[in-house]
Amino acid sequence: MECKAFEQNLALYLYEELGAEERSAFEGHAESCQNCRALLEQSRSVQRLLHRRRTIEPTPELLVQCREGLYRLLDHEQFGWRGLIRNWLPAIVGFPASRAVATAVLLALGFGLGWMLRPHAGKPLPLGKTDTAQAIPAGDLSNVHIDDITQVTPDSQTGAIRITLNAERKMTLEGSLDDPRIRDLLVNAVKGYDNAGIRRDTLDALRAGSQHPSVREALIYAMQHDPNTGMRLEALKSVEGMEWGSDLAQALVDSADHEANPGVRLTAIDALVKHAVQAKDRALAPELRRLAGNDSNPYVRLTCAKAVHDLVGDGY
Amino acid sequence: MDGICLELADKVPAEGSRLDEADEHDLIRRAQHGDRAAFEVLVRVYDRDVLRLAIKVVGSPDEAQDLYQEAFLKVYRSIAHFRFDSRFSTWLYRVVMNVCLDHLRRQKSRSEVQAPESEEGQPEFFQTLADEKPGLDPERSAQGKEIRQRIGTALSQLTPRERMVFELKHYQGMKLRAIGELCGTTEETAKNCLFRATQKLRLALVDLA
Repeated sequence: MECKAFEQNLALYLYEELGAEERSAFEGHAESCQNCRALLEQSRSVQRLLHRRRTIEPTPELLVQCREGLYRLLDHEQFGWRGLIRNWLPAIVGFPASRAVATAVLLALGFGLGWMLRPHAGKPLPLGKTDTAQAIPAGDLSNVHIDDITQVTPDSQTGAIRITLNAERKMTLEGSLDDPRIRDLLVNAVKGYDNAGIRRDTLDALRAGSQHPSVREALIYAMQHDPNTGMRLEALKSVEGMEWGSDLAQALVDSADHEANPGVRLTAIDALVKHAVQAKDRALAPELRRLAGNDSNPYVRLTCAKAVHDLVGDGY
Repeated sequence: MDGICLELADKVPAEGSRLDEADEHDLIRRAQHGDRAAFEVLVRVYDRDVLRLAIKVVGSPDEAQDLYQEAFLKVYRSIAHFRFDSRFSTWLYRVVMNVCLDHLRRQKSRSEVQAPESEEGQPEFFQTLADEKPGLDPERSAQGKEIRQRIGTALSQLTPRERMVFELKHYQGMKLRAIGELCGTTEETAKNCLFRATQKLRLALVDLA
């Protein structure tokens, strides 16, 4: 082996990527050539120096943040226009003798997107203005047949909420959660509306109103029954800030027992444990003791056992 | 709760463990048909390693979080095209590598090859180096700081591809063939990148060694 080949193989030797024969030739040359031996030692020293970089392990908190952010992105992906196209277009195109239909659908989508992307489309309207929509007159909504809700815009600073919907015509409803019309509409929307994006906006609008029994019940319902994992997690975060009560305790216990998503389930159990320990709520001790004894997840068993110990002392 | 989630419950591996190949294939097929819960199980199997790798490449947890999300979103969008002709993990890491490479190239093109400044004014990347127990020996502490800065600067002078190959080889201990596969290139190209990277680092750091 010559010095040039030695230098070219230096990194491969240091990182154990040379075959047995090449390795032997490399080591033979190092023994016979002082300059190359010095180069090898120098390279080893630099390699050792670079190993002083510490390996950073992702913290559990960072991992949870990453997952939550990803699930939000996936929600947008799943229920936005991309999801619509991905879910429906293959079915339409794959339908027998449907080329013409597919073309028509594509044209319609093109016009639809053009309409959506026209200037000012989709921008939330400032509260108090009605644009082309007609404001719903005061009075109850029992005589109004609502076809769909197109936008829910809560203002977190003022508590004002603007709802745009299609009834006999496009309409807007403005007010706050103190208005029973708004409250009832949002409560029904968060519990049963089929558009997850609207349910998410509705949840945001309801967060501040948990003092109303119907809102409280709706948030707990969303935490337990919403079909979307991200929504259940968001609803869980909302109910964590609510005043404690037996309804909330029972809902969290039910989530601990029946929630399918491991992340949401652990968050529910953490909320239960946190309340029990902070408020020294011994009423929860039997449920926590049951989880500590039976749960399949070692983290849950450990956390609950510690909480029971904190609550009832060495008697556990 | 929806039946699909419950059906998947027994496929959710314990934190840090791997799936059976049959279970993994089943999850991938479900995800390919739009099953979000199946996709989330796959995410949880691989995401710790993906995040660890992203942190290693970019040096900043915040930037790594963006890369994590960008990579998994790309995987979600393109999982329907996965054909089972390679391991899922190889395909996934190739996506992650491309996202990381694009990130490093963007950094380079913005002339931000110097590591980003942290609040204390010290480049964030340098904080990933082993502590020098500064309270015990001020002279040694100052020397350690200089070494950290020099290593950070030297690494930032590598091209994105050299940097990536070096990180995977030196810190992850991967074989060059696997690195070539992950980076969508040949083993020979990976060898050349490693050669150039180690040469540049040696020249930059030889006086410290």
